[in-house]
Amino acid sequence: MDQVIEKRELFVLNGTGASVRGTFHKTRNDDSLEKSSLGARERIGVLFLNSLSQTRAGKGDSSVYWADSFAQAGYPSFRIDLPGFGDSEDETPKDLLAFINRGSYAKVISAKAKELRERFNISGVVLMGLCAGAVSAIHAAPVVSECRGLILLDPYFHLPPSKRSKTWGRLSDRLQQSALRRLIKIASNRVKYIRALFLGGRLPSNSNFPLLTCWKQLASTSLPIIIFRAPTATRDREFDYINYNLEHAGQDNQVVLKMIEGADHTFANRLGRAAVRQETENWLSACFPLIGQEECCLDIASREHE
Amino acid sequence: MKIQRSAKACLVEEARYFPVPGAHLYTVLHQVTEPLARVLLIGPLASERHFAYHPWIRWARYLAAHRIEVLRFDYRGVGESTGVFEEMSFENWSEDVHLLGEWIAGQTPRVPLLLHGLEVGAILAARSFNQGLGDALLLWSPPANANLALRSSLLQWAGLEQLYESPRNRRPASEFIRRLEEDSCIEVQGYLWSGRLWRDSFMWALPGTMKEGSSHDEMSKRPVKISMLSRDAAPLVKPHLMYDELKDISWLYSDNFEWVAEALQLPDRGRNGSGD
Repeated sequence: MDQVIEKRELFVLNGTGASVRGTFHKTRNDDSLEKSSLGARERIGVLFLNSLSQTRAGKGDSSVYWADSFAQAGYPSFRIDLPGFGDSEDETPKDLLAFINRGSYAKVISAKAKELRERFNISGVVLMGLCAGAVSAIHAAPVVSECRGLILLDPYFHLPPSKRSKTWGRLSDRLQQSALRRLIKIASNRVKYIRALFLGGRLPSNSNFPLLTCWKQLASTSLPIIIFRAPTATRDREFDYINYNLEHAGQDNQVVLKMIEGADHTFANRLGRAAVRQETENWLSACFPLIGQEECCLDIASREHE
Repeated sequence: MKIQRSAKACLVEEARYFPVPGAHLYTVLHQVTEPLARVLLIGPLASERHFAYHPWIRWARYLAAHRIEVLRFDYRGVGESTGVFEEMSFENWSEDVHLLGEWIAGQTPRVPLLLHGLEVGAILAARSFNQGLGDALLLWSPPANANLALRSSLLQWAGLEQLYESPRNRRPASEFIRRLEEDSCIEVQGYLWSGRLWRDSFMWALPGTMKEGSSHDEMSKRPVKISMLSRDAAPLVKPHLMYDELKDISWLYSDNFEWVAEALQLPDRGRNGSGD
């Protein structure tokens, strides 16, 4: 049995704090780069963060697909199980969503990004996350000194409503599959929409203000950021946080927004995953071109042949 | 990739790739010094693997804490294993079980081997057991055939699971089934199901002699236990829970461990581990 195969390597990061397991997706040139100190110059990796999916593979193994693709395009990719996810040793935090919304994974992401840099010959990382993973990425970016960019899939900027009462819970369970539930949902969305019209540019009271502060800070520093949205993202009907954020991103922002038609919320369906792959690869090569590194690898390869 | 879970219990979980024809299987060996027995955990398929992941790992850790060495894995084309899901077949996945079964059975010191399957994995475990692999067999919620497992996943996905799907992707389950019967491909939870997979699934069934309850294999008299898990055991079985619904199913672990200890005739020391 092997820890390393042609295109992948299993690793454990246990430098400081929690042990984190993960999978490294190697680029074509990774073996040559190990022999060269030149390779680390501006070699950018993609670090995948867990969404609410249980494992680092993501729904329908979509994260595996993207990591394979990005590595093939020349960007080493790393998928990790943060504490409480997948193969990690730790128990899942009791209120996982609140834990993520508070940005509680930022510290461990920062520590693990440093370990990745030292171990895998990279100069920096682009953090990639879906939904709750995107929230973790935004919270972590200001404290991850290796962070060179963000890939955000359907991020959200609000906090969930407080826990429902027992009576409402029972009623809601009974309505779960009924047509009445659908009608109530439609009516509720309508009310939210009308409320949003009156709210104008003001943020709703359940906004995740610390997260919005992080966002503002990141966008104003010209950090390359690409945001993907699925047309089914219903959560933001109450208030369009993405547009709000783009309007308040500052003149120097390097934020790109992509709406992916036909994608579901997780982008795990064929249309969604292919579009995310294509758009991200284009964005990576525009923001973090490989030219110098490719030349370096070619040099090494030709020297080896001589 | 080795990691020591607890200095006190000296439990090591080692993740490795295991080569099979055309792919590498992701495996995690929950190592035990001086094991009393070994278990090959044969999990559910594709999206079910994803939902059942946490309680399945906890079960592996529970067993390891009771001095039973455990090997768990992802099937070809699923999760951390390599390969393309839509190119795989039940034949391939059965081969995965067989190859890993042979590997774990060949480890030293020689101790009894239990095959433990969940859902579709239960069918694959039972078939390997019928071919002579293992000293005991534990099955959780085996469907009568693999098609029933696929159908149940499809029905669930086509219902509530589609809430996040775009409106144009929402269709009744019957339409998806019709497409599969016409030999077309459909997507379920991010996995591409082919008409071939659907057709083949009818042929992958539990051996006829196996019925719910505890018994023995008729030919070799090896112990067999078949349990249909209730909703209390979710998310090992449907209904799958929400991310924030943490559940303690240690009662399931302790009940089944009692049977394992008895079936494999483990000495009492195996029953006093440091498990949950």
